Amino acid sequence: MDIIVLTKRVPVTQEEELKIAPDGSSVDLSRVPFRMNDWDSYAVEEAVRLCERHGGTITSVSIGDMESDEVLRRAIAMGAKDGCLIESNQTLLDPFVRANIFKNFIEKEQIPFNVILGGVQSEDDQFGTTCGILAAMLGLPFASMVIGIDEVKDNNLILRRELEGGIQERISIELPCVLSIQSGINEPRYVSIMGIRKASKVERRYFKAEKYIEEDSSNLISVTKLFYPPKKEGAIILHGEIEDICRQLIGILKEKGVLK
Amino acid sequence: MQKQFESRVLVCIQCGKCTGGCPESGRTPFNIRMLVRKRQFNYDIEKSLPWYCTSCNTCTLRCPRDVKPSEMIIEIRSFLVEEGNIPVTLQKSLENTFVHKNPWGKPRSKRSQWADKTDFKVPHISETRHKRLLFSCCIHAYDPRCMVIPINVANILNRAGYEFGILGDEECCCGNEIRRIGELGLFEELMEENSANFEKYEIKEIITLSPHCMNTFKKEYRDLGINVMHYTELLSKLISDGSLKTLKPLERDIIYHDPCFLGKQNNVFEQPRDILKSIEGIKMHEFTRSREISMCCEGGGGRMFFDVEVPYQRNSELRVLDAKKEGAHTIAVACPFCLMNLEDPAKEKDIFVKDISEILMEVI
Amino acid sequence: MSYTLIISEVRRGIFEERNLDSIGIAHRLKKPVYILFPDGQYPINEKWVDIMIKAQIKEQEFSMPKNICLLLEKVFNKFGMPENILLTHSSSGTECAAYIAGYFRLPVITDINGMDEEISAFYKSFYSDKVYGEFKITKKVPSVLTVRSGTFRALIEERANCAIQEVVEGIKIDEKRVFIEFVEEEKADIDITKAEFLISVGRGIGNKDELPSYEELTGLLNATLSCSRPVVDKMWLPKARQVGQSGKTVRPKVYLAMGISGAFQHIAGMKDSDCIIAVNKDPEAPIFQYAHYGIVGDMHKVRDKLKELLKE
Repeated sequence: MDIIVLTKRVPVTQEEELKIAPDGSSVDLSRVPFRMNDWDSYAVEEAVRLCERHGGTITSVSIGDMESDEVLRRAIAMGAKDGCLIESNQTLLDPFVRANIFKNFIEKEQIPFNVILGGVQSEDDQFGTTCGILAAMLGLPFASMVIGIDEVKDNNLILRRELEGGIQERISIELPCVLSIQSGINEPRYVSIMGIRKASKVERRYFKAEKYIEEDSSNLISVTKLFYPPKKEGAIILHGEIEDICRQLIGILKEKGVLK
Repeated sequence: MQKQFESRVLVCIQCGKCTGGCPESGRTPFNIRMLVRKRQFNYDIEKSLPWYCTSCNTCTLRCPRDVKPSEMIIEIRSFLVEEGNIPVTLQKSLENTFVHKNPWGKPRSKRSQWADKTDFKVPHISETRHKRLLFSCCIHAYDPRCMVIPINVANILNRAGYEFGILGDEECCCGNEIRRIGELGLFEELMEENSANFEKYEIKEIITLSPHCMNTFKKEYRDLGINVMHYTELLSKLISDGSLKTLKPLERDIIYHDPCFLGKQNNVFEQPRDILKSIEGIKMHEFTRSREISMCCEGGGGRMFFDVEVPYQRNSELRVLDAKKEGAHTIAVACPFCLMNLEDPAKEKDIFVKDISEILMEVI
Repeated sequence: MSYTLIISEVRRGIFEERNLDSIGIAHRLKKPVYILFPDGQYPINEKWVDIMIKAQIKEQEFSMPKNICLLLEKVFNKFGMPENILLTHSSSGTECAAYIAGYFRLPVITDINGMDEEISAFYKSFYSDKVYGEFKITKKVPSVLTVRSGTFRALIEERANCAIQEVVEGIKIDEKRVFIEFVEEEKADIDITKAEFLISVGRGIGNKDELPSYEELTGLLNATLSCSRPVVDKMWLPKARQVGQSGKTVRPKVYLAMGISGAFQHIAGMKDSDCIIAVNKDPEAPIFQYAHYGIVGDMHKVRDKLKELLKE
């Protein structure tokens, strides 16, 4: 199975306090560490496991600045054969533009594949659409939120998608296809620093994003302002007699939808 | 990565002194003597076993043949790390250390948030004359319970007129636990980053709050000609030379628990006791297992970051029961891992656990 | 004249509650509201929309990306191009939204949680929900939007007239992706990470004998029992139920922490829960800093009173 895995270098913002520029035009990421998008590491791990079981090679592709090379090295350390960096210094926000670049790149450079994997969404933009748009552009079948690939046959895959409420749906999807991988599908292996250093010796290929952007494709959406979400207060302490408090508690549980 | 091994498994005579002193033996499946035997013959070692070790070093200290079994554990772990074959929670701690420079995954930008709460403005090391660095350690920087310790020590040193500075968010994990977990590549990176900063700011002295940091700076970092000490060594000196005076008495039954990394591994036994003895009214108790034979709290060796599979009665609980038997009101500690590990069972048994700096703050 | 097209999220005969947010934002967009759904009886309030379009296609096939696109071609042919296409921000909603955007080359914004119709802007969150972005569509083409659950349903207003019923004929079903079956969670396995509602007990429980009573509470509330580390150390509950840095990381809808002080090793394992409710005797317990709601009191008393009220 030849697999292309789409990877992205993202800022790690989960614990950070982010500062937005006063004019709302940008976020200060200068003191924020970066690493491979969490969902992408599940995708790479899944690709590696598929190839361990069924043979084949993995190519990791990333759009970003030169620093994104770090993400390709990690993918290689996890088991990818090589990596391609499509260099662009712009923050390409519109998933449409990103998907277009991937599509043109894959077609122009004739990267062979049976499956294209990506993560469900990226930690920074949180769009969750690049893989789906890419699939439609390539005219390939698509499944998102893949939580388990159960069978690999010659022409198709049997897999499970995560739905809401703890239910999954099992589907059959023909190859070649595009899948977006949900976190929790596997446990990504640990890559040691030594391992990443070894991966640096594997050649990565570099390309320029301009080569793959069509003349007429521009951003379909734009961000006009960035601002802080409304502030959250501390814990609201419930007051009253014990019966009162418990009734309030039941009310909250009903409102949250866990008590019918 | 064919490094020269420090451990010498081939000279082991299987006397069993190591297992005899090991805090894990008998209560868990971990048997260090047997592991050395298996290494001698290159037999397979069950993959969960190497993770029990708490790096207390008792085995290495007791061994009559200088086999260094604790180094052997690090070597075995380093192979497992390269294979990626390590417990998931340890993985997260290592990845966090790589990205955020601390195993808790907290933001680097908040590393010196404790310094906002001191009585005075803590200077950056570059702003000081004497180039004495106070190294806080990851757990003091981020854990709400431990954060009071750097605040206390900073305030105490300030009152004693002892000038010092901090690295702020340029400080990164010392790497002591990282090395013990076996991630030698990551340890090297941390060592390089910290050493580069020490050189850049021409540091002459490092005062550590955690014995773990002191241990690795002193023994495992490349020699930078810096005087490294634990804060209790410094405070003991400041009390004896009169710079630091205790103003009030404190009537309390206190028992001091020797941390492995301060006590048996680095021979600092008296200074913490001297600090306590200098306080009028304190009645000092001693554990039967004190000083060189102090009972390991099981916080080292990466054990703060993951749980072994087999549940058993922890040493920390036994230690607290001992303290109660000796009639102590408070267990005095000098290491944040001991503090965290002992406080949980202590709360149940109505005993207090306090860092030496907390006790001092009550009387100065 | 342009309209707002809502693509329903339906599953096993149920018209998902999330659709209400799509209807809400559609009302705010002020254009005629058309709603598309597959062959079946769905309890869609006819006074909430202007046109109800039933597609002659089975429910499972309706929710597939390629089929939805082929269906939309028929809808566009019959009714013209909509101004906005709305889906729920959900597993299938976002999946279809992405494919529709790629197929018809339309702009797509997902997980919308607000809008300002005066300036034609939509709001969505970035960077682990720490920053909100204001978005505008730059091309005059229909836009595809997925709507975050719970954000707009309060805006629904009933219309004077009932909706007109329309039908759109079926399509050649895509064979490259085929639905096989739904897979339910197995209740036998203790996987606390999959639970929607966790009741977590800590050191405050005091005694192993109190556990059965908590198990009864979780039964009454259809919740799952979890715990903090000290409970596992004492071997009162298995390790699989431990929440925390050295246990499991959970993100349920509701996390009810009883007798848990909030040491940050525990917090690390549950801080992303949607709603954290803490019960603790100690008003200074750190957990109250992380909780959304707090009860300062005895956890056993709260448990007993809850059971009493629930049994009524």
